[in-house]
Amino acid sequence: MSAPGLAELLERAEALYLDYRLGAVKEWKQRTGGLAIGYMPIYAPRELLHAQGVLPVGLMGGRDDLEIIKGDAYYQSYICHIPRSTIELGLNGSLDALDGMLFPAICDVIRNLSGIWQMQFPDKLSHYLDLPQDFDPEMGGKFYRQDLEHLSELLVQRGARPLTAEALAHSIELYNAERREVQALYELRRLQPWKVPTHELYLVLRAALVLPVEESTAMFRQYHEAVAADQARKPVDQARVVLTGSFCEQPPLGLIKTLERAGCSIVDDDFVQVHRFIRSDIPASDDPLGALVNAFLTDGMASPTRYVDRGRKGDELVQRTKACGAEGLLFCAPSFCDPALLDQPMLVRAVEAEGVPWTAFKYSENSGQFQVIREQAGTFADSIKLWSNA
Amino acid sequence: MSTIPEKLITAGIDVGSAAIKVAIVETTGRALEVNSIASERMLAGASERTRRRDALAVAEGLFDEQLRVAGLTRGDLAYAATTGEGEALPFRTGHFYGMTTHARGGLFLEPDARAVIDIGALHTRAVRMDEKAKVASYRMTSQCASGSGQFLENIARYLGVTLEEIGTLSQQADKPEACSSICAVLAETDVINMVSRGIGIPNILKGIHQSMAGRYLKLLVAAGVRGVVLVTGGLAADTGMMTAMQETAAEQKAALDVRCHPQSVLAGALGAALWGGFRVRRLAEKGTPLPMLVA
Repeated sequence: MSAPGLAELLERAEALYLDYRLGAVKEWKQRTGGLAIGYMPIYAPRELLHAQGVLPVGLMGGRDDLEIIKGDAYYQSYICHIPRSTIELGLNGSLDALDGMLFPAICDVIRNLSGIWQMQFPDKLSHYLDLPQDFDPEMGGKFYRQDLEHLSELLVQRGARPLTAEALAHSIELYNAERREVQALYELRRLQPWKVPTHELYLVLRAALVLPVEESTAMFRQYHEAVAADQARKPVDQARVVLTGSFCEQPPLGLIKTLERAGCSIVDDDFVQVHRFIRSDIPASDDPLGALVNAFLTDGMASPTRYVDRGRKGDELVQRTKACGAEGLLFCAPSFCDPALLDQPMLVRAVEAEGVPWTAFKYSENSGQFQVIREQAGTFADSIKLWSNA
Repeated sequence: MSTIPEKLITAGIDVGSAAIKVAIVETTGRALEVNSIASERMLAGASERTRRRDALAVAEGLFDEQLRVAGLTRGDLAYAATTGEGEALPFRTGHFYGMTTHARGGLFLEPDARAVIDIGALHTRAVRMDEKAKVASYRMTSQCASGSGQFLENIARYLGVTLEEIGTLSQQADKPEACSSICAVLAETDVINMVSRGIGIPNILKGIHQSMAGRYLKLLVAAGVRGVVLVTGGLAADTGMMTAMQETAAEQKAALDVRCHPQSVLAGALGAALWGGFRVRRLAEKGTPLPMLVA
């Protein structure tokens, strides 16, 4: 017997996740008259958008139910899948509710996508968010601040309200609260993974991408309370694993379920990273824009999209693995994902040096068959449970 | 280090695509040992065909029935391990993958075995293992149905014989008729032609058995198997298949000793139960709390 409201919450989360046409965003726009701006994965300054009355809308490509008709014409076969599905959704009208798009600096492919977007949708805002790779406040900090100020002006030109320090400080507080809720869910999953199956958590994380932060925070809290109280969820003997590499193009939900069914309890992951990219609260400040910039410079995750000094990414992954009591690592990256796959050998060296068992496989967002991965993950989980000394 | 239990009773539930298998085992001894015949015994075990019923309901019914046969309750179990398609059984303590469990069950039934060939309704897997049932390599049939028990069941239906009759009839063959080993559709066409040409049922069945046995031997060779091989899975009960495999191995001078055991069909469930006990002892050795069985 599940906790009251949990089934309904998950049903709604799944509906939001499945809705390519962004019905919730359309409703929000009708209700508020505000702008809605889409952003690609990993990180976006959602606090700034919110402070100007704009709804930030996270986009994470398509699934296996999206037929790519036009999108393939823009990218060669050796490019990952997410830009194709994003273009397809743009061209088939699914993203019409959006007034613009932000393209954070993820990789060359996403940068090229921003250029294609400008040509395909000249009437909409299309901004390449050139996130700094120099984390010196006097260099990268100034550069990023100028970019945010420029973005803020562009939003005003589209009808958003001007940015004020008070509004931004309030928005930062709201997103701090959301981050805390997400972190609390990750902590609950770390402690009691059977309470928080990753395929459920993932749906809630995805649903939150199209909701205003006030609603998403409440949804995270409601989900947390419901699963914590659900006495029907009992411990199962699974191998505890960290899943890494799935920060941009997302795996199909079926793949996450397959991994769990194959005997893996995912106790940390890279999914829908925007909710956790800034790792702690952004402190209150007289200069909230400066605080937002500083949080990106000093408190961002060691993502493959971010320059981190030699070796430290591997150290951080080992630290994450140990901190969550994981017994193994799944390198689960999209095919042709340069940031994930170029970092992988360095990360493998780091975890092997610590004796952490690992296995690696690739996917595409439209993958529909998981039998091979099921076998791989199943035997990996067995080897951990029966033979590993980790 | 916490105390490693002296005696453990564990269960294995193997949910296959055509049948459910359940085994209850008792293991004694504090050491983390594998393949210790003296300390392992099966208390109960049975197989039941699903026959279009809800597989999970059949599994739970058979599980409780076998507990009754052994004079036990769920509360007596230290671990209930699923395997096969049993990941969704709500009362499981944990799940082990099919290759891992067939290897372990195979070693329990035939301690000399260093490989098993699991012939199920939908797939066939050749698994090479070491003396501790650790999987060293494996090969699986592709998705084509001609290497599966389901294919044989379909042929039996066309020929109007029961599954139980297949083995005996096949062994009566005097002039087996060659059959396609590549494609189930072609093989079925072959069978229709044979019937229309008046070929007797024993010779048709033997031809099919030989065709399938040839595929299985290729799998075993590809997995690097030598020595004793135990046949497990549903088709282990087919004596005609066993004979065909032994004859084909001899004809091809393969360094394989193909064997079967009366309980071969339960190998997956037995392996799951045995690994469950091993896992409990391992967790105890590491001082980790034991997983709770969901009553």
